[in-house]
Amino acid sequence: MKAMNRRKLITVSAVLAAVSLAVTAVPAQAAEVGVSSTEIKLGMTLPMTGTASLGYNKIPGAAKAYFDYLNANGGINGRKVTLVVKDDRYVPTEAVAKTNELILKDKVMALLAPLGTANVKAVAASVNPGRRGVPVLFVNTGFSGFADAKKYPTTYAVLPSYIMEAKVMGQYIKENFAGKKIGLLYQDDDFGSDALAGFKTAGVTFAVKVPYASGSQGAAAAAGWITKFKAAEADVVILFGVSSATSAMLGVAAQLKYAPQWMLGSVGGDATTIKLTGVPAGVLYNAIGFSPVPATTDMKDEYVKLFSDIYAKAVPGSTFDLNVLLGMNSAFMAAQALKAAGPNPTRKSLLAAIDSKGSTFANSALVPLGYSKTSHVGLTGYWVGKYSPTGDLSPIGGSYVTYTTDSGAGAVVKSTYVRPAMPAKGLPN
Amino acid sequence: MHKKQKRDIFLFILGGVVLYFISGMVDELRVYQGASIAVYVIAISSIILLTGYSGQVSLGHGALMAVGAYAAAVARIEFNLPIILCFVVAVLASAIGGALLGAAAARLSGPYLAGTTLALAIGLPSLANQFSVLGGEQGLLFDVGFPPLSLGEEFTQYKWFFWIAGLAALISMWVVKNILSSRYGRTWRAIRGNEVAAQLSGINIARSKILAFTISAGIAGLAGALLSMTIGTVSPSAFPLALSFSLLTGAVISGITTLSGAMIGAVVLVAIPEIADVVAHRIGSSEGVTTNLPGFLVSAILIVTVLFVPDGPVEQHRARSAKKLAHKK
Repeated sequence: MKAMNRRKLITVSAVLAAVSLAVTAVPAQAAEVGVSSTEIKLGMTLPMTGTASLGYNKIPGAAKAYFDYLNANGGINGRKVTLVVKDDRYVPTEAVAKTNELILKDKVMALLAPLGTANVKAVAASVNPGRRGVPVLFVNTGFSGFADAKKYPTTYAVLPSYIMEAKVMGQYIKENFAGKKIGLLYQDDDFGSDALAGFKTAGVTFAVKVPYASGSQGAAAAAGWITKFKAAEADVVILFGVSSATSAMLGVAAQLKYAPQWMLGSVGGDATTIKLTGVPAGVLYNAIGFSPVPATTDMKDEYVKLFSDIYAKAVPGSTFDLNVLLGMNSAFMAAQALKAAGPNPTRKSLLAAIDSKGSTFANSALVPLGYSKTSHVGLTGYWVGKYSPTGDLSPIGGSYVTYTTDSGAGAVVKSTYVRPAMPAKGLPN
Repeated sequence: MHKKQKRDIFLFILGGVVLYFISGMVDELRVYQGASIAVYVIAISSIILLTGYSGQVSLGHGALMAVGAYAAAVARIEFNLPIILCFVVAVLASAIGGALLGAAAARLSGPYLAGTTLALAIGLPSLANQFSVLGGEQGLLFDVGFPPLSLGEEFTQYKWFFWIAGLAALISMWVVKNILSSRYGRTWRAIRGNEVAAQLSGINIARSKILAFTISAGIAGLAGALLSMTIGTVSPSAFPLALSFSLLTGAVISGITTLSGAMIGAVVLVAIPEIADVVAHRIGSSEGVTTNLPGFLVSAILIVTVLFVPDGPVEQHRARSAKKLAHKK
């Protein structure tokens, strides 16, 4: 009896295995995966739920808002662009599983703006878009490694790297805070070590450096950090961490009435996200911040004006912030890449288009793009701004002063880059 | 060899052959999902062994999986060991971790044990950030290499993963099954049933509990190494608290005392997100629904299982047919 049951159970298990692997018919392939006569399909994975999703979960809505606008205005040579979004909860295992679904089941032509260094790395290792020839457009992380065209042949960075940011900060300090005591708060991992490398290249000497372990940041830890900065009598304190670290630090500093000159890294410097955690906007006042794209409140900027109008109509009631602007900017750049890939775009022609014309793609950023046949470096610098009493970052003196540099030993230079005018109606030309 | 054992071996080999043919018939996505199912089968069986048989609760198996995964990756990168030895290292390393944990666990029970293992699940993976040899937040690459050329040009990476994971699942299920029907398995069941009675009949409770933790951890470590094989990397974020919870959920849905049910839990864990996706598309719902539906479905299945088939569907079915048989007699 027992033996019979066991056999039955094993049979059940085997049947279940078969069911779970049920064959799905593979449709006959068109000229290119993800491209039909009426549609171009793109895919995106990012955290839509869970603790890491705060702020980032607005990106798909922003990108879709732009694509809807594009589609309403004729799409790309008559094809509409659709975006399939999957939630990876910021877990590499999930990112791999969802990317596999996007490529193998949803059959997207390319991936757009996947988020998180560990996730993009896991996808590169397991799914291996490089070997499959699947373009990975404009990854949403500042890790400098993804710009390596040899290692990640189909992956393109868009954000300036953490090293570039630290170098630009270093230059600003030299020009404006010579002789002052500088303190640095940084995350004790590769994010932080990229920052340290950048500051070293820029020749910044710190009076005090305070590392924190990812996940340890909170009010109690922040009180400890402040003690160290106070003991070192730091005049300028750089917060080169994630939003939760910046928020904890500013919140506790406000309570303790500790007010050095703050300098915020762009990763943890989005005012909307900081304010969401309950930090009063006034604490941000006069802090120095960095961004590659225009201030999100700068309605005189043609891109900000157009993008915020499109977004307000598509997602009413949602604040137009840095995540939204960057999401729409990536969508806009993807549209241009698709347009540049010819009347019948393929994965190959898309990659070739970015390599040859990518550096001239119109986009909202105030610094140049670095794409070429040998480089997948995206934006290459920042402008420096100050936070207003309401917590909005705007350029010092009212006009944007931009710095550009690279992730190596190259100098930081004041940029003479003039952003080309926006193509008519914000559609790819 | 005992007649029963012979038949079991035959059935396991038959299972392997069936899986082999299936892997040749389906597309790449299914093969990848098949590999994930195999990994979950191993992980869930380690929980069934620990919780279902020895009666100890662990909310921290994700952390033990992380130990195995890191051990395998370090063995591969630093010592360039052959892949099979990397998996052996993973089992040994996590078994040692499990033995240490088990030594503490033997003094604890119920909510205290749950709390301790929970702390482990939260704390251990992020410890990896503190050692540069473990690659920090971005983690390490774990590359098992391309499939042997003798398998043909068409043989994909995922099929290779599926073979490795499938074989590992069959072997570990076989091992676990034998352990459970051995003296140790009976000892654990005695302890779970009544600790005092077990002690009175001469069972060393502490030693048995530590042994259960050690074996369970070793199997979990194997699952961890296989998981990181399928995603090509090991990083702290691959082993979140949610992983430990979903494994436990899988074990409950499987039937916590039924080893052969592990398959059900594993299939549910892999299939639910996809089913949710299809459902959300059919009803054309908003993003909020789409993103929250998988979690909702898993929770609903968990509640339904606990309410209606608390011992799991396999156990329920077995009990029902036993009853029927008794009636006939």
